[in-house]
Amino acid sequence: MTTKIWQVSISCFILALALVFGLGVSGLPTDAGYAGISSRFVPILITVFLAVVGALLLWQSLTGGFRHFFDDTANVRADLRGVIWVSAGILLMALLISYIGFVLSAAVLFVCTARGFGSRALLRDLAIGVALVLPVYWLFGQVLAVSLPKLFNQWL
Amino acid sequence: MTETFGLLLSGFATALQPINLMWAFIGCALGTAIGVLPGIGPALTVAMLLPVTAKIDPASALIMFCGVYYGAMFGGSTTSILMNTPGESASIMTALEGNCMARNGRAGSALATAAIGSFVAGTLATILLTFVAPFVADFGLKFGPAEFFALMVLAFVTVSSVLGASMLRGMVSLALGLALGLVGQDKIEGVARYTAGVPELVDGIEFVLVAVGLFAVGEALYSVLYDSKTAPPTQNKLSSMQMTRDDWKRSWPAWLRGTAIGFPFGSMPAGGAEIPTFLSYSTERKLSQSKADFSSAGGKGAIEGVAGPEAANNACATGALVPLLTLGIPTSATAAILIGAFQNYNLQPGPLLFQTSGDLVWGLIASLYVGNVMLLVLNLPMAGIWAKLLNLPKAQLYAGILVFASIGVYGMRQSALDLLFMYMIGVIGVIMRRFDFPVAPVIIGMILGPMSEVHLRRALSISQGDWSAFLTQPIAATLLILSALVLFVPMFLRRRGIRLGEDD
Repeated sequence: MTTKIWQVSISCFILALALVFGLGVSGLPTDAGYAGISSRFVPILITVFLAVVGALLLWQSLTGGFRHFFDDTANVRADLRGVIWVSAGILLMALLISYIGFVLSAAVLFVCTARGFGSRALLRDLAIGVALVLPVYWLFGQVLAVSLPKLFNQWL
Repeated sequence: MTETFGLLLSGFATALQPINLMWAFIGCALGTAIGVLPGIGPALTVAMLLPVTAKIDPASALIMFCGVYYGAMFGGSTTSILMNTPGESASIMTALEGNCMARNGRAGSALATAAIGSFVAGTLATILLTFVAPFVADFGLKFGPAEFFALMVLAFVTVSSVLGASMLRGMVSLALGLALGLVGQDKIEGVARYTAGVPELVDGIEFVLVAVGLFAVGEALYSVLYDSKTAPPTQNKLSSMQMTRDDWKRSWPAWLRGTAIGFPFGSMPAGGAEIPTFLSYSTERKLSQSKADFSSAGGKGAIEGVAGPEAANNACATGALVPLLTLGIPTSATAAILIGAFQNYNLQPGPLLFQTSGDLVWGLIASLYVGNVMLLVLNLPMAGIWAKLLNLPKAQLYAGILVFASIGVYGMRQSALDLLFMYMIGVIGVIMRRFDFPVAPVIIGMILGPMSEVHLRRALSISQGDWSAFLTQPIAATLLILSALVLFVPMFLRRRGIRLGEDD
């Protein structure tokens, strides 16, 4: 049952996307030039494409579900706690990177992700995380000149 | 012919420079590693490495990227033979016989025939590429905007209908990619579209962000959601990497047939290596003298069933470089990201590339010969070392992948907001994986979409808005008719019991 709700929601998401792109067309210039088509033409085309595939998908999801779809996760219990840990890691990194610097925030991501996958050795993961980030930081920063934020903030 | 030899020799002069040898080696080693590791593929790796294009010169960067690309094909066989969990869809067929051989104590021979077969096929395919590519590029010079547009339509149709189980879901993915590609400046008039007033969006959505979000974050979240509790599959013991006389006798013809099947499939915009590997496997099973060895007949694993598909898989990967270099048409997600790499250097893959950047192209082709030798050396004596990668605990492996992914994304423009976008796209990636939407069409649509709009509008400018131009010009019309026919391919394949997966 929940699968059906998901499938309907996905279809509606695609249809909503078509709506957003369709509404955006009105702000575009209509000057067609030599080609006879303006900057609006391809957006309209893609909007229609989105709407058509979205509608077909909705029809499939309402009439027996997606076709040629074998649900290989049907008997697996989804590990929501793990997902929350991994998500928290990424979001914390995004939140903290400007404050606690690159190495520490990446280490937070490492520890949270490892925890989400069931690792219990917090300190060991922290050490691996830092040991992994330092050389990468050096490699990207020095060798490849990708600019990264300061290693630590001044107060660290 | 002699001209080609001269160009190839000058290419070797580029490829054999110590610095380029080093990049080729890094690419091959990295490619093998990610091929062995589950959960991380060449498309993601090349996307994460794209920032290096800011620093190192084009030849070196592209040599490295290509090393990653076909190194992953070599490495993928190790996982499927030792673990029976194919690293990518291209090695599903290898897993069938290879794992059966490994369970019967012949893992070493299976790995050897896979590595040597990959080398033979890779080298033969590179020779084919060397001589076919200039012809195709010459032919491509006749192409105008109408032909290129038709070619891109063909690419869109093939990647979305042939990849994945359902054509409709492939089309949904493609539509999503095309829509993402719309954001940003229109390439003809410079009108900002769908930017919602955000200045960062005028340059378009970074496809690195999308690729990393879909492949790295999506894969990690999916894995923690559904796979984290399953025990790792048992690993077969590695035996000595020796092939008996009989093994050689059975492998040779399989390698050659595999190459012959794989290369043309790779060079057509048909996407993916599953069809050629499947065809190669069924050919070997049909032609084999010792049918009782095949796992389906309850045997101990037939070596030709490993040799053929592995050769086909590598020849296919090299073949994919033909449309990529000569026409600028990507046939896989990795190839699409390689186009992005070219674009970062303001280079446009296509027929003109052979004239404007001949050094680069021939250097790249020459490096494929070099890379194949490197990969043989890396894989044959050192298979044991690569196999150890399979012991990496999942928790730390995925944590490492996510750390690298966020470094790559954050390094682009130091925006914490980009990390949030990466996460959101990752969530979409999980949903797509869960409901079996192919991911490659998103990337291909995003990169090829804006290019096809340029060609469409140029073609119509030339014909003064006359749409019949697409049907009166023979090449364009043929390509469009082909595109219409491709729509029936999945139906045909399904009837023959071939279920298609995705190749990343």
